[in-house]
Amino acid sequence: MEMTTEELAPGVAVLRCTGRLNMVAAKQFRSHIDETVRGGHRKVAVDLGGVSFIDSSGLGALVGGLKSARQAGGDLRIAAAGDQVRSVLELTNLARVLRPHDSVESATDGW
Amino acid sequence: MAGERSYAVEQVAAPESIDSLHDLLARVARENPEVPRDDLSMMETAVIEIAGNLVEHGRPPGEVTYRFDLTLHADRLEGVLADSGEELPGGLTDLVEVDVMSESGRGLFLADAVLDTLVYRRTDAANIWSMTRRYR
Repeated sequence: MEMTTEELAPGVAVLRCTGRLNMVAAKQFRSHIDETVRGGHRKVAVDLGGVSFIDSSGLGALVGGLKSARQAGGDLRIAAAGDQVRSVLELTNLARVLRPHDSVESATDGW
Repeated sequence: MAGERSYAVEQVAAPESIDSLHDLLARVARENPEVPRDDLSMMETAVIEIAGNLVEHGRPPGEVTYRFDLTLHADRLEGVLADSGEELPGGLTDLVEVDVMSESGRGLFLADAVLDTLVYRRTDAANIWSMTRRYR
């Protein structure tokens, strides 16, 4: 999985991911979010447009990232999730806390 | 669909085996464009969870092997994963949904949720995970 971070505004970053967010990639993904938050970007939008697959480890990493961001006084939102990602978010009821936004623009609206 | 088609992969329960499973499912999709993508994707979700569980918790660690067989029927997908690990304590009886803010513990719950049926049974030397996903 490949990840890049871009600052959208002071304190706001978008994390773009490409590949499969599974148990092989989850730890690195979680570290990347934590580093982003520690680096002063308390509001993180995760662009999942390039993520073809997510498993429970990836879901756990997203929840962990959400907690990190909230503990720092910010938030984490997800954008551009594909069909498989949306399905597992719904089936695990995680869509309640990680509501999928259609685009990074809508995810970061109000930030 | 003309007749049934079957695919299989056999490997050690190591992290790399997860990629092999993804590759197998990608091959199935390429070779069988008539199989609904969403259903194949949900079968993929289930088998990755069960194999991932083995990679993380299979005992003895590093020694567990497994075989995954996938059969394409006219109306459904059937997957069977057989692993050499020790018996799953408590079987599949406690598939409870974890707290929404939990960072782990939703793997088998998710596998069950994406399937029509998930059945676990123990034979003399193996754990057998039978998965069915009917085409929507």
